[in-house]
Parts: sequence; C-alpha cells; structure tokens
Amino acid sequence: MLRRLANVLLYGLLIFFAVLTLVPFAYMVCGALKSKYDFAASLFLPAGGGWLGVGWDRLTLANFARLFTELGLPRALHNSILLASVSSILTVLCCAMGGYALAKHRFRGRDTVMGVVLSALIIPGPLLLAPSFQLLYNLDLLDTYTGLILPGLAPAFGVFLFRQAMLNSVPDELLEAARMDGAGEIRIFFELVLPLVRPMLGAFLMISFMGTWNNFISPQIILQSPELHPLSVALNNLKGLYGTDYGVIMAGTIVSIAPVMCLFLLLQKEFISGLTSGAVKG
Amino acid sequence: MKSGRPHAPLTPWVFLAPYLAGFTLFFAWPLVRSLVLATEQTYGPKVTVYVGLLNFRSILGDPMFWTAVGNTALFTACSLLVQVPVALGLALLLNRPDIRGRRFFRLAFFSPSIVGLAFVAIIFGLLLEKRTGLVNTSLHTLLPAWDPDFPWRENYVMISLVGSTLWLSAGFYMVYFLAALQNVPRELLDAASIDGAGSWQRFRHVTLPEIRPVLNIIVLLVITGSFQLFELPYVLYNDTYGSGPENRALTVVTYLYRTGFHSGDLGYASAIGWVLTLFLVGFALVHRHLTRREET
Amino acid sequence: MLRFQSFGLVLVTVLAAVSTTLVLLQPVEPQDGLQYWTFDRSHAQVASAAAANWNPRHPDLPVRVTTLTGPTLLTRMLSGFYSDTPVGDMIEVERGQIGQVFAGPVQDIGFVDLTDRIDRDGLRAAINAPSLSPWSLHGRNYGLPHDVHPTMLLYRSDLVEAAGIDVRQIETWDDYFRVMRPLFRDHDGDGRPDTYLLNTSPTNMGAHEVMLLQAGGGMFDAAGQPVLNSEINVRTVARMVVWMAGPNRMTADAPVSGPSAIKLAGEGYMLAFLAPDWFAGAIKKELPNLAGKLKFMPLPAWERGGRRTSVLGGTMVGITKACRQPDEAWAFIKHLYFAPETARRLYATFCIVSPIKSNWSLACYDEPDPYFSGQPVGRLFLNLAGDVPERIPSPFYASATTVLSAAIVGSCRHVDRHGITDPAAVEPEVRRRLDAAQAELLGIMQRNVFVAGRAP
Repeated sequence: MLRRLANVLLYGLLIFFAVLTLVPFAYMVCGALKSKYDFAASLFLPAGGGWLGVGWDRLTLANFARLFTELGLPRALHNSILLASVSSILTVLCCAMGGYALAKHRFRGRDTVMGVVLSALIIPGPLLLAPSFQLLYNLDLLDTYTGLILPGLAPAFGVFLFRQAMLNSVPDELLEAARMDGAGEIRIFFELVLPLVRPMLGAFLMISFMGTWNNFISPQIILQSPELHPLSVALNNLKGLYGTDYGVIMAGTIVSIAPVMCLFLLLQKEFISGLTSGAVKG
Repeated sequence: MKSGRPHAPLTPWVFLAPYLAGFTLFFAWPLVRSLVLATEQTYGPKVTVYVGLLNFRSILGDPMFWTAVGNTALFTACSLLVQVPVALGLALLLNRPDIRGRRFFRLAFFSPSIVGLAFVAIIFGLLLEKRTGLVNTSLHTLLPAWDPDFPWRENYVMISLVGSTLWLSAGFYMVYFLAALQNVPRELLDAASIDGAGSWQRFRHVTLPEIRPVLNIIVLLVITGSFQLFELPYVLYNDTYGSGPENRALTVVTYLYRTGFHSGDLGYASAIGWVLTLFLVGFALVHRHLTRREET
Repeated sequence: MLRFQSFGLVLVTVLAAVSTTLVLLQPVEPQDGLQYWTFDRSHAQVASAAAANWNPRHPDLPVRVTTLTGPTLLTRMLSGFYSDTPVGDMIEVERGQIGQVFAGPVQDIGFVDLTDRIDRDGLRAAINAPSLSPWSLHGRNYGLPHDVHPTMLLYRSDLVEAAGIDVRQIETWDDYFRVMRPLFRDHDGDGRPDTYLLNTSPTNMGAHEVMLLQAGGGMFDAAGQPVLNSEINVRTVARMVVWMAGPNRMTADAPVSGPSAIKLAGEGYMLAFLAPDWFAGAIKKELPNLAGKLKFMPLPAWERGGRRTSVLGGTMVGITKACRQPDEAWAFIKHLYFAPETARRLYATFCIVSPIKSNWSLACYDEPDPYFSGQPVGRLFLNLAGDVPERIPSPFYASATTVLSAAIVGSCRHVDRHGITDPAAVEPEVRRRLDAAQAELLGIMQRNVFVAGRAP
C-alpha cells in the first residue's frame, strides 16, 4: 500500500513537472491558431459548441499565412538554415581535425597548443565582442555571412570535446595498422577516425547547429541589411513591431523553433549519447 | 601516451591549421586588441582616443556598473540555488529502474533546451505579458488579490529571469545528472540498503560522492553561464534596452553591450569585459581550490 | 564513404548545399533608390503613401521604406554611423534615441547638418519653433520635425458629468485632484480602488518628463548642462510623488492597447490620461468602447497662470552622411513633411497635428470628432502648439533618464514607508536624491572625452 502511494506520488510529481515544462509550448500553439479577439477570451483553445466544448471552427491559420506572405518570414527562415547548416558543418570539421591532432599525434608543441585550448575555455565571449567588431570592420567583413561564420569556426570547447572523444574511442593500433597498409593521413581521418567518434560528431553537430540557430547577439551586431537577418533577429523585430498581435508572434516563434526541434528529434539518440559520454568520461 | 612510429612531423600541424588560424585571427588578436582598447575611448571603431587607465577608474566609480554586478550576482546565486537542485531532483525521479515512460519524460524535460535564449525571451515575454499573459491570468484567477501587472513591477524582475532560465536549462543539466546516476554502481547501493541505510543516507553517502565530479562541473557551468546572462533580459525587456524597470534586469554583459554598441564606446566595453574576465577567472580558481580540497 | 557517417551529418550537409545553392540562385534584390528607415508601422504607412506619389515622378531614384523596431533601428543606425556599413539614406529618429547620435565628436555626427538648407529654402519661419529644438545641437539643425505632440488632459466626461463636476473650476493640478477626489473610490468594496485619477506611476518616466517640462523644469539647460536638482524639479517631484505613492496614492498605469485595455476601459479604471495628440489617435483606435465618453481639456497648471500644456515623444527625419543624393533626399523629406496631404493623413489616421504652420489652416482640424464628444480635437491641440516647452537634446539623455527615474522611484518608496501626504514633508528627501542623481550624471558626463572637451 505504502509502495503504491509512493508510486502515485512519484508519477504525480513527474507528470506535474512535465506539464509545467510543456505548457508554454501548448500555450504557444493554441495562441498561434487563434484570432486576435479569441486570444483575450480564452487561455488555450477558444470556447465554443464543438467537441469537448471547444470552438474548433474558430481556429485559424491566418497568422501563419500572414507570416509567410506580408511579413516576409521565409527569407529569414532560409537565412537561418543556411547559416546554421554551413557553419555547423565547417565547425565540426575544424574541431574534429584539431581534436584528432591533439589526441592522436605526438609532436613538439602539443602541450603548448593544449594549454592554449584550455586557457581559451576560460575567456568569456563578451570580452571579445568589441575588438571583434573592430576587427571585422577593418577586414571589411561587417554585414556579410563570412564575417558571421568565420569567427565561430573553431571553438576551443569543440576541439577539447573531440580530443576527449578520440582519446577514448580511437585505438592507436587501428591507426597503426592503417598506416602499415599505406593509407594516407586524410583517408585515415575521414574513413577511420570520424566513424569511430560518430556519437560526438552527431552531438557536436547538433550543439553548433543549435548554437548558430539560436545566436542573437552576433547577427544583431554584424548583419546590417534586413534581408540577411536570421530568424532570431527577424522575430525580435517582429515582436517589437507587432507586439500586440500575439497570435502572429506565437506563430513566428513556432516557425522559428520547429526546424531545430525536428532536427533534434531526428538526431536525439546520437545527441544525448554523445553529450553524456563526454560528460561522464571527461 | 604512446603514439606509434614517427610520421611526417607536419601532419598534426595540417590538422591543427584551421583551428590555429581561427584562434590567432579571431581569438588571440581580439584578445590583445581588447587590452589596447581598454585604454581608449572610442566612438565606434573609427574614432579612438587614448585615455590610459581612465576606463578602469571610471568603472570602479560607476554606479550603473555596480548595479549590473549586483543584479548578475543575485541572478547567479538564485540560478545556482534553484537550477542545480531541480535538475538533480528530476534526474533522481527518473533514475528509478522501474519507471515507465522514461524516454517521454526525458524528452519533455529536455525539450526547452533546444529553444534558444532569444526565443525563450519571446515565449516568456508573452507568458508574462501584463494582464493578458498566461502566468498573470492564471494567478489572478487563483488569487483574486493578485496584481496582474506582474513582471513589469520591479520586484518580480529577478523571479521572471530565474524562472525563465530554470525552464530553459533544468532539463539540460538533468540529462548530465541522469547519465552520472546511471553510472553509480548498483552493488554499492544494494550493499548500503543491506546495511540498513535509508534512502536519504544512501543518497548522501553513496550517490552523492559518485556523481560529485559531474556536480562540480555543472556548478561551474551554471556560475559562468549565469554571469554572462544577456539575451534573455535584452529581449524580455527590449523596450528599455534590457534594463527593465529600475534597472533591475541590467546585467554586466547587457551593460557591456550597451556601452559598446549603443554608446559606441568599445573602449569602455572592453574594460568591462576585462573586469568580467577577472570575476570569472576568480570563480574558476576558487572552484578549483574547493574541489581539489574535497578530493584530497 | 557516406555509409560510415552519421545520419545527422549527411542531413545537415544536404541542408547546407541546398540553402547555399538557393542563395546563389536568388536574384540580387535591387538596392537602388533612396532608403527610408522608420521605427513605426504608422509612420511607414504615411511615408509609403508619399513615396507612392513621388516614385512615378522619379523612376531612377525611387524611395523605399523599411520598418525596424526602435532598438533594432538604433543598433543598425549607430552601427552604420560608427563603421560605414550600409545605412538608410533618410532615417526617422525618435526623441529618446537622438542623444546617442550626438555622443561622439561633432564632425562624426552621422546626420547631415540641415541648417543651411532650412534657411536657404526659408523654412525656419514655417516650422513651429519649439518643435525644432529636440533635433538641434549648438544651434545647428540635424533633422526636420515630424510633429508637435502638444499634450492635454483626456478625461472621462461621462463619469465626470454624471458626478455633477464642472471641469471649468479646475485650473491647477491641486484643483484637479481636489475636485476629482469623489470619483476616486472603491465601488465593489474589495479594498482596492476601482477608478484612478491619472495614468502615471513611479516608473512611468514618460509621464514624469511631461510633468517636469510643463512645470518649467527638465533634465538639461540650454547649454546642455544637467539640471536634475534644480529648485523647480525638486518642488515638482515632491508634489508628484505624493499622488503616486503613500496613503494618498491616486494614480496608476493603465494599458491602452491589447485586449485587457478594452475591459478596463469599460470598467472605468482610469479617469484621465496625459494625452499628446498621438495618444488620442491610439486610444481612438484601440478602445472603441469609449466613443463619446471622453473630452479634452488643457493640462491643469502647476501654479495659477502657468503653462497649460507639455510635450511627450516626437520624431525627426534626417539625411545620413552615407546618402549619395542628399539633394534628392532633401526634396523628398520636404515633400513628405510639408505636404498638406501628409498633414491631413497624419491627422485623419493618428490625430497627429502638423508642425508646419501653413498646414494649420486645414479644415480637417476644425471638424468635430464624435469619438471625443464632438470636440474639434485638432484645433484644441494646435491652440497649444506654440506653448509647447523646448527640449534640449543631449548625448546623456538616456543616462539622465535612468538616474532621474531612480531618484523618483526612491522618493516614492520613501513616501510609502513613512506614509507621507504632504509635499513639503518629502521635499528634503527628494532634494537629497536629486542631488545624488545630478552628481552621478556629472560623473558619467566627465568620462566622455569627446563631449567634455566640446565648447558649449
């Protein structure tokens, strides 16, 4: 009996927290489907005569239609996809290469480089905000995607993670054998090493994709022309201009988080295993 | 570590080249520049004047800066006190071997972390909207005395920020805790049970020491992350450029951003950046000292 | 090779390839013509209408209107000024943001000095004089004014008349709160007042500035020096804080847009609003349920015979130094701001009255407005246009607002804590706080080597 009570309590708590976590999403989805007037009248779905006492017929896709026609969100969506995919691919590649060199090669200066990587981990990003802006100005890279993508290409954090992953899951004997067979270094890296660190590859890809997708500060500073803006900036602008059109803002937020949510659901397994393998062993 | 026969000495440098190039150009160089900039006053990147240590002296006597430090420290302390226990608690709830629907719950708790801070700020901006938002309408229905002007009242600024951050990142840390908990050897727990240890004692004497390394890392992550809070208040209180009512939402990085990019003084911003760095390095050193002592 | 790789890597690579190709294939949008940036949708409508009229006559230099939110526009504009990245040719700037434009060396101000153009075209006399002041630094003008924004008191004539109150007996703020006091009460007995007498609150800095300017105070003197702790500011703040806090609190903030505003308006939550002309336009659009229940009167004065109006908000348009066709841009902004059609449209859509004197004879300003109980609203505002207080722009406007707001909120706290109802009793506290605010602001100002070294 006591055991049962404890179980009820346990599941009750879990469900309570799960509801608390998911309510903002539900509120957003309902809000995006309501007209401006139904928004004030009901918390979630508008009341009406339909099934479960909900006015299903009053739900509308008009908010989404507005986003994609007059408010020009597709452009921003496209920009976000471009930025996030290109920079996450390049970042993963750079970090994996760096991590591989540090984990699996012995050379003079390795400890120095490792020291540099570790000390770079402590420096907070905001310190570099102002001088980077000046640098991009001097390089004439302001208001370009290059200026946004290049500085983020090789985070010390990523190099460190890949080094750990390669130390753990790439056996030296395998590399030896491949070299004996006369395989080139580039081939070894792509065909042997990368597949062995697949979980980390997936996890870090997801991390850098989400990081770029959700980045707000850098595009806000670096990209001047509105047609270059990614969703994070475009949506904030939309919120300022259409602040009381709650439905439109909620629809916009859904459009902005849906792609990265889908990607996450697709890569979920890789992501969580990569993420936690690093944490536990690291 | 042993690493095979000597191969071309250039190979590792080829692999390191992209990282080192990026590091030199976009990390080391700006870092050096930021030291120079900190001794200058600028109007955008074009116009600069050397002012020596004036920026640092001004910071020490700048009430806005210390307001920002106070808010940020308060936020960091609150986050630490709320996020870590909640994340650990959720992980403990989910770690029972017989739990059903673990994958669902884990996904549910984790889902907010996929959403970025800028989007969280928009979602919570709507949830906390005065009079019409879900939080205020629900509270007002439950407690008729509740004033639905909620988040714009200065006393609730910190609660709003901490609450939004909790929603965002508790699930993320939970995943780490869960992984660590699953590595706690069952035999140890079983042995403790046989010795008659209650669940609290088992947690205190078996689980906690086992997950300590992960706990330590998460504490450091929460501290350094919270101390750099920026996007959330900046978007949530966008109408006041992120300061919120009575500057209650002003954080160090928001202030850095505003001096650098709204007032155009990249020099003062860099000086603030260095003070921030000092704080963070200080935290890291204290943290290392404490965790070292724990281990020995 | 693909079969070794993670599914995610493949997927994201495909995304990268597809989106890059799409960008490369996308035709480059025409960036010709003159870019006009504004921060407000309604401003954009007016500018677009003028552009639609202008563009057919200037096919090789069409005007393109872009709307950005206030903070975004500020960031982009300043970023453009600081670092020569692309920026609009003509930019509308809001009163609260103009200070940032003047923060660097004078020769680096991002807007073109329009003084000579204004004088050459004989426009100075045509513009309502106080309306030019917020956009001028050391006697040079950097923008044309979009508006006057005189401020009146908009009150619930239905409630006031039902209570048998005659507003003609109100000349000062003290009169106002005394005469209206009977309407400030708790109708449903829940212990909370249901009707407040004025829409202001300790953190409502806009309302505070309206009050201070009306009283003859403010933040900066004509030379740009801070005067936060002036005697007039001390006395005015001391009188304001006892309405906003303490046992005699009679004011609150009321939303005027959004769904709940309609409900509150229906319940008679707010008796009167500090209302510039744009506020009249907003309330008319947002609160249809108040039609016929509102009337305007001049602001009650601080002293008998004192000023009966003030000013809140305001916009200018300027030409940026990045603009390669300043003559054409000048022709367009004159066309936009001076045209009677613009004045008519601004008034018809937003109740905003024109700062251009030749437009003041337009018949539309005299039409009775049924929403405002048949008052000729435009004429009422225009009668006050010449009395609008001058405002001095300052690079330190934002800092001044911050420290002043903190001082006022602090004084309100003091009033709350000690249950003060008499302005004289709170004056020492207010003086102490305003002195501190002044000292803090001076500290901030001395830090700026560009402005500190500038001749006043």
